[in-house]
Amino acid sequence: MITLAHVNKIYQIDGEEFYALRDINLEIKQGEFTAILGPSGCGKSTLMHIIGLLDTPTSGTLLINNKDITKLDDNELSRLRNEFAGFIFQQFNLINKLTVLENIMLPTIYSAKKYSYEPKTRALELMDRFGILIKQKSYPNKLSGGQQQRVAIARALLNEPKIILADEPTGNLDSKTGKNILDLIRELNQKEGMTVVLVTHDREIAESCQRHISMLDGKIV
Amino acid sequence: MSASYQHAGRQNRLKQHHMGILLSIIKTSLSDFDRNKLRTFLTSLGILIGVSSVILLVSLGVGLKNYITEQFENLGSNILIAMPGQIFGGDRQMTGGNFSGITFTEKDYLAIAKVSGIKAVAPAYVKTVSVSFEGKTEIGSYYGTTAEIFPMRNLEAGYGQIFSAGDVEKRKKIIVVGPKIAEKLFGNMGSFVGKTVKIEDQGFKVSGILKSKGGGGFGGPDFDSFLYVPYKSSPKINQEKKFSVINFQADSETVIDTVKESVTALLERSYDEEDFSVIEQTQIQETVTSIFAILNGVLVAIAAISLIVGGIGIMNIMYITVTERIREIGIRRAMGATRRNILSQFLFEAVFLSFIGGSFGLIVSLVIVFIGSRYFPLAIDLMSVVVALTVSTTIGVVFGVLPARKAALLSPVEAIRYE
Repeated sequence: MITLAHVNKIYQIDGEEFYALRDINLEIKQGEFTAILGPSGCGKSTLMHIIGLLDTPTSGTLLINNKDITKLDDNELSRLRNEFAGFIFQQFNLINKLTVLENIMLPTIYSAKKYSYEPKTRALELMDRFGILIKQKSYPNKLSGGQQQRVAIARALLNEPKIILADEPTGNLDSKTGKNILDLIRELNQKEGMTVVLVTHDREIAESCQRHISMLDGKIV
Repeated sequence: MSASYQHAGRQNRLKQHHMGILLSIIKTSLSDFDRNKLRTFLTSLGILIGVSSVILLVSLGVGLKNYITEQFENLGSNILIAMPGQIFGGDRQMTGGNFSGITFTEKDYLAIAKVSGIKAVAPAYVKTVSVSFEGKTEIGSYYGTTAEIFPMRNLEAGYGQIFSAGDVEKRKKIIVVGPKIAEKLFGNMGSFVGKTVKIEDQGFKVSGILKSKGGGGFGGPDFDSFLYVPYKSSPKINQEKKFSVINFQADSETVIDTVKESVTALLERSYDEEDFSVIEQTQIQETVTSIFAILNGVLVAIAAISLIVGGIGIMNIMYITVTERIREIGIRRAMGATRRNILSQFLFEAVFLSFIGGSFGLIVSLVIVFIGSRYFPLAIDLMSVVVALTVSTTIGVVFGVLPARKAALLSPVEAIRYE
């Protein structure tokens, strides 16, 4: 489903080149649960952002469903972000001035998708499933970390993406809440066959996943 | 179904889709204003102050200019004045002072009246006197003159009547009182026509009270404060029948110059040319107007400065509000918003805020001008409205959209991480 070939990401810092990613070759198949493991600064988040089209590689090719992503324009990229990928961030990245329901509905504003379902009904169903239905009119900053992450997951799932990209989703949560969130993501993979890429620095979490890739200094090891 | 037909259908769907997104974006922006009332208020306030200060300052300048012009037009047209002293030219500034010490005589007045091209002549003996009525005493300007002063200066009786040329010949001891001094003396005016006032122990019967002309100040004579008396009626006050000024009116604008020359030549027979001057009323008007043109320039300069200051205010608040929302832009981009979607949102917000601020600024200044014009000369200048609105809206839109554009050009991840 996703193929990376010779992907480099280079930052210019004070005129010096810094390789965040160096010659990454990777294939992610549909239905896989892949963990990317590595210490902070190893480039695992950068890799996930490139897979999720939130960032662009400096060189190399990225194929999604055999289409070369580097040749797409902003509209096409935005459409893929909207329909193909669902993001879960460590910092949740909810918009605090929008209610929980509005946050979950955010992808519909920008969607060209022909919905086979009523988005709002789906939002309410997801909230019900994640136990946050009563919070639909609350604002994110009034919610606990675990609740905020559930809102983020519901938002990620609203447009029925083909892949879930989770960047340290448990990083800001206590271990019990973290485990709940992780179980929830795992369930999406096992019951619905959702493709998941999970970024973590926790070896234990990574090793519990179907497949894990270790990274160090911008390279897969 | 042909291919082109299918294509058209797809185009149509795409169009509908874009409209839908645009509507959702507008809805998002509007609910955003609702949630950020303080921010919305402050941003609009910047534009409001910028717009209204410019409109008000300019309207003050324009109002003053109109007021002066109107005042002078009110004083009658094609009027010339012979006065002692050098009024214009030489090294003296324009003043009404009696420098040379000469006074005009009845002979001068009668001679001027015979000059061709002159419609009316009204000489005047002006003196500051105390005037009393039933024990009440006020200071007023005695104005010994002929009946021609009234039509010449557009003066009309509000109560009673003005005196006639016949009254002057008959040396009637009557008086026409300017409304300002009348109000001080009589309070409630109308019923005092026919009563007697005393000036320097002489009794004068009130013949009429003039309608108000407004004015005085700004260089014109204050016709509302004069006490008009037939010049022949008060030998004790003006024993030698001398005049401190002779007003005369030319038949038309075209003969003003000839009339001026003739009168000057006439007076030069009796007086040294440096001891008197014959001036056109428009000369005084021009001098006064030019003084106010400077004041007007200062007002416009202040208006321009406040527009710049207001503009910087708008710039700041727009820049800050957009900058603090860069993370939000990143999140929206991650959820599938295109660059154009982001730009549309911020463009709409900036236009909307500028429009709200601009309209309220316009309304506020219109209300202030409407209320203020009762007490002060104010007049809306359309040009200032256009300039103020255009400049502040442009600044608002440019500085609302530029930082948003910058943020939209970042990759979503850079925007989310933006500090």
